[in-house]
Amino acid sequence: MTDIAMNPPAVKRRKRGLTRKHSPVKTTAAIVLSVLLIFFFASPVVWIYWASFKPSASLIGSGTQDLVFTFENYKNVWKNDFGRFMFNSLFICGISVIISTSVAVCASYVLSRYRFAHKKWLFGFLVLTQIFPWIVMMTPLFIMFAKFDLINNHFALMFCYVTITLPFSIYLMVGYLEALPIDLDEAALMDGCSRFQTMRHIILPLLAPGIVATATYSFLLMWTEFLLAIALLTKTSLKTLPLGLALFFGEETVDWGAVMAASALTTLPALLLFLPVQSRLIAGLSAGSVKG
Amino acid sequence: MLSYSKDQRKFVLLMLLPAFGMTAAFFLWPTIYNIKNSFTDLSLLGLREGGKWVGLDNYIALFNDSDFKKVVFNTLFWLTFVSVSIRLVLGFAIALFIESQLVRRLRLTVPLRMAALLPWATPDIVAVTVWKQIFDGRTGVINNKLLEWGFIDQPIVFLGDPSYVWPAVITIIVWNGLPIIVLTMAAALQTVPRDLYEAADIDGAKSWTKFWHVTFPHALPALAVLGLLTTIWTFNNFIYVWMSTSAGPGTFSNVLATEVYLQAFVNFKLGLSSAIGTFMAALAMVFGVIYFRYVVTKRFGGLM
Repeated sequence: MTDIAMNPPAVKRRKRGLTRKHSPVKTTAAIVLSVLLIFFFASPVVWIYWASFKPSASLIGSGTQDLVFTFENYKNVWKNDFGRFMFNSLFICGISVIISTSVAVCASYVLSRYRFAHKKWLFGFLVLTQIFPWIVMMTPLFIMFAKFDLINNHFALMFCYVTITLPFSIYLMVGYLEALPIDLDEAALMDGCSRFQTMRHIILPLLAPGIVATATYSFLLMWTEFLLAIALLTKTSLKTLPLGLALFFGEETVDWGAVMAASALTTLPALLLFLPVQSRLIAGLSAGSVKG
Repeated sequence: MLSYSKDQRKFVLLMLLPAFGMTAAFFLWPTIYNIKNSFTDLSLLGLREGGKWVGLDNYIALFNDSDFKKVVFNTLFWLTFVSVSIRLVLGFAIALFIESQLVRRLRLTVPLRMAALLPWATPDIVAVTVWKQIFDGRTGVINNKLLEWGFIDQPIVFLGDPSYVWPAVITIIVWNGLPIIVLTMAAALQTVPRDLYEAADIDGAKSWTKFWHVTFPHALPALAVLGLLTTIWTFNNFIYVWMSTSAGPGTFSNVLATEVYLQAFVNFKLGLSSAIGTFMAALAMVFGVIYFRYVVTKRFGGLM
């Protein structure tokens, strides 16, 4: 009732607000500022794709105006094993994401649903691992993996990728789980579901959107990870995309066309995956749970 | 919280074990190893022999080294403080602009948000790559245009000139990291209750008063969380400085993350590198404690 009584004046006020005249100076300034902002944000990305279709030679000097387009750069990176790097990245990140997300779902379910001793320390530990500078891990990990002869082993890298994405995956997932009322679990347990069945058949389907967002974010983090990959993979044929991209920077000369094509190929999957989940991530982010 | 009997404790343990077992194995061992190495003179070339125990020598050497002080200053001031402040202030201002009445009326809100998504989705390594090309001294767009329009006679090597290197690196970081602030703050601004503005309008409040007493207090928690997270990520970041300048020219733009790498893999001094790493992790821990106390406990306090 109150809603109906309150609404009409509110609508009227808003309407008046919308039709209020802004001075032409202000309007022009807002348009100019918007155009500048859009240019600042978008132009480097547009430039990657534009330049990736230009002959390498035309990227040097001011000859970029001529409208010559070519697939030469893409052919070039393809010849230089980029397909291989892409396959390696897909293989490593794909498997790691599945493991990381499943393990995270289990842990976060228990963290959000059950009371047990020392839970505070577990959360504290998660935070610690989230803020830890990865660069510090590089040498110890390299030595550790070298001892067990695990350098140039994709499974070693997968283990790393699972663990580096676990803390914030759990954190993010606990947040999504909190939005699901615990009455659901209680009702299911009352009806004779086992504890695992309750999680698997009652909660998991409802958590699906959160799982998709978390998995996507983990995937993107692994997809662009550079440090661990460079420490653990030295054989060219085993390298991942970010390492492949770095390979195109020569010591003296840089083939910008090839670099741009490689950048375009690295960014495209990230863009396509990122756009559908971004609003969900923003929600999780204001809760302080995403790793950048 | 669900209740459970004693014999059902193994369900809880079983669910937690894989996650915490793996993370502990991954983080604890290297951390301990790192601290242990920081008290030795271990060299990358003498891994087999191991290092000699030198006590606190590595740490003492660091604190007496003026170059190292500069590295710490670069990390805390240029890389972290300047780049984070710029992102927070600009990001919040742009969010206010995007969500303003005028921009809404002009229907520019959606295009602006879409444009802001692009840098966010760009991997940091790609961001550095494309900006390196834009800034390039011989072939870069900026130099070409400045020369063409007659502002300069000689191209500027932005990433190789001490007077331009930090502004250039910070530009790259801001481009890549500004959108996350803009979009999150824009979302936070939408949650400010409309009736508060209406009440302020009735009271005849000026727009500055409305901002200071309604908008700002509501946006502050989100801004604080973002500020903290951005600080931690930037402090820890190796890619931005390493890929854009390799800590150069010389070691002019050297930061803690690149110093850890340089000492270990260029100078082969693993002991010293471990000491720097331990110091860096201890500094990051300070942010971690703040983050835990003010963000995590607040958000998940009910669960603990």
